[in-house]
Amino acid sequence: MNVSIKEKAQIKNSKPTQFFENGHSTEFIIEVRDLAKSFNGLKAVDRINLKIRKGELFSLLGPNGAGKSTTIRMLTTVLKPTNGDARIKDFSLIEEKNKIKPLIGVCPQENVVFGALTAEDNVEFVGRMHGMDPVEMKKRSKNLLEKMNIAGRKKPVKSFSGGMKRRLNLVMSLIHQPQILFLDEPTAGLDPQARRLVWDFIKDLKNTGVTIILTTHDMLEADALSDHIAIMDLGKIIAFGTLEELKSSSSNGNILEFSFSSRDELIQAKSKLERINNVKNISEMDNNKLIISFTGGVMTFKREILREIESFKALHFREDSLEDIFLKLTGRGLRD
Amino acid sequence: MYSIDVKAWYIAKKNIKEKLKNLGSMFWTVAFPIMMLLVYKLAFSEGTEEGMINGLTIFEVEFPGIVVYTIGMSSVTSAVMFAMSKIDGTLERIDSMPVSRGNVFLGAVISESIFMNLQLILVFGFGYGVLGAHFELAMLPLGYLIAMIFGIGCIGLGLIIASFLGSPEGANGIAMLTHMSLMFVSGSFFPLDNAGVFFTPQYWVKQVYLQLTVVGNSFTDLLYSGNIILPSSTASVFPIWSGILIILAFTSTFIFLGVKIFQKKTTL
Repeated sequence: MNVSIKEKAQIKNSKPTQFFENGHSTEFIIEVRDLAKSFNGLKAVDRINLKIRKGELFSLLGPNGAGKSTTIRMLTTVLKPTNGDARIKDFSLIEEKNKIKPLIGVCPQENVVFGALTAEDNVEFVGRMHGMDPVEMKKRSKNLLEKMNIAGRKKPVKSFSGGMKRRLNLVMSLIHQPQILFLDEPTAGLDPQARRLVWDFIKDLKNTGVTIILTTHDMLEADALSDHIAIMDLGKIIAFGTLEELKSSSSNGNILEFSFSSRDELIQAKSKLERINNVKNISEMDNNKLIISFTGGVMTFKREILREIESFKALHFREDSLEDIFLKLTGRGLRD
Repeated sequence: MYSIDVKAWYIAKKNIKEKLKNLGSMFWTVAFPIMMLLVYKLAFSEGTEEGMINGLTIFEVEFPGIVVYTIGMSSVTSAVMFAMSKIDGTLERIDSMPVSRGNVFLGAVISESIFMNLQLILVFGFGYGVLGAHFELAMLPLGYLIAMIFGIGCIGLGLIIASFLGSPEGANGIAMLTHMSLMFVSGSFFPLDNAGVFFTPQYWVKQVYLQLTVVGNSFTDLLYSGNIILPSSTASVFPIWSGILIILAFTSTFIFLGVKIFQKKTTL
């Protein structure tokens, strides 16, 4: 992986250090300062800083094990940080976590549902824990379950499909009308249709003024929903900004995906590609695939590489994506 | 910290609904004690002269053992329930909501106590009403109360077991092993003439219960007589109140330790 160390350092150092100005602003509903969590000496989250605006949809993007869920678990008061603090609305995560709990809704990564109960029972249990008025709770429960296409089912939740349980999980996190909603991989395991339903629902929800913090390793999801994106890897935030900002700050230029029939073919092609001037970066992926970023015109580059490389399976030109940005920053794919 | 409030009742209601719909759990709660009673009745009801204790058949003397067994099962069911809540995310979900852990524990005690009441009604009804075990009606409410106090202590034992185990299957196995071992070591199934029995709460529950509901007929007399039956004889060593104190101490200690250890092990 040929990533410029200088470029990487620029991105790492530029955005996160700009997050904090002095004093507390009402513009930001969440401000995270030097938040860290270690498990048996292993740093799961390493002194991250973040500011999240009221009413925005903020995505934490990163591969499995990047520290996204640990960050969410700290911000939702479940895990105690080993360092740092966060201010959620007007309250300190460390000192006033009981004041934070009524403000937040949490949709955890795993489906936390009570299998023997009906969907209504599950939702109403959460409502009761938030001290909701029973009449309002039932009305809101019905409305939310209808929106998620799981209303009126009297069977226990254990008979539900994975996707239905996922949607129920989302409803459970919303019953008490939280001001801040944490969604940990909300569409993991959903079929495309259900995923689209959840995306539309999240977009509608955002329009009501709820601040949404979403973790995902799905670039399409982050791309489709987010106002701001923070890319996490190995417990650190390595880039932050809007999608456009991220692309402009770390753009590789154009991208060529090159597939080969065998590893030998790939190695031969790679050595030839490394000699071409326009090539900025070459990343080796699974399935005998190379991702090449290059500068200059697509047609000129195509002519040049076809002159050099004769044996390959397929090639495909495209624009830079979030995954490419991640690849450039970390040297790894999001699903590695 | 949030205070303990009505949310404990909603947690209990959720637990009850879940347990009622779990056929396996209901079998161990309801059907198994009835089966045990039938087995004991068939095996020990026809007492010969030498097989009788204080004029009672072995079935009648062992009946309190079945009560102890039945109520003691709450250590198994609560261990499984708490271990499950650790791994299926329930505890984390509750921790992210404005609810105290006190409500979670109280909710569990309420739901388990309701099932213990159901068990006691069934076992008493079946044992006394259908199978004809001897009992003193006036002493029955006190015996009932002691069984409930013991049961709450067993929930504490279940909490301790669940604190150390990472899966409901493991908690079930260890809790069952603990419960059955204590049942045998305490002489609750079959009388044991061994000093070890005195170190098990089950022994005291069985003996006090035996005194109150089967042998005794006046609580005041029992308090002062010091007439507690030894495992396999009629000799008296300890007065009944010492047994009651031991049961109370067992319950308080196990609930205290259970809550403390579970809190420590699950607060991340």
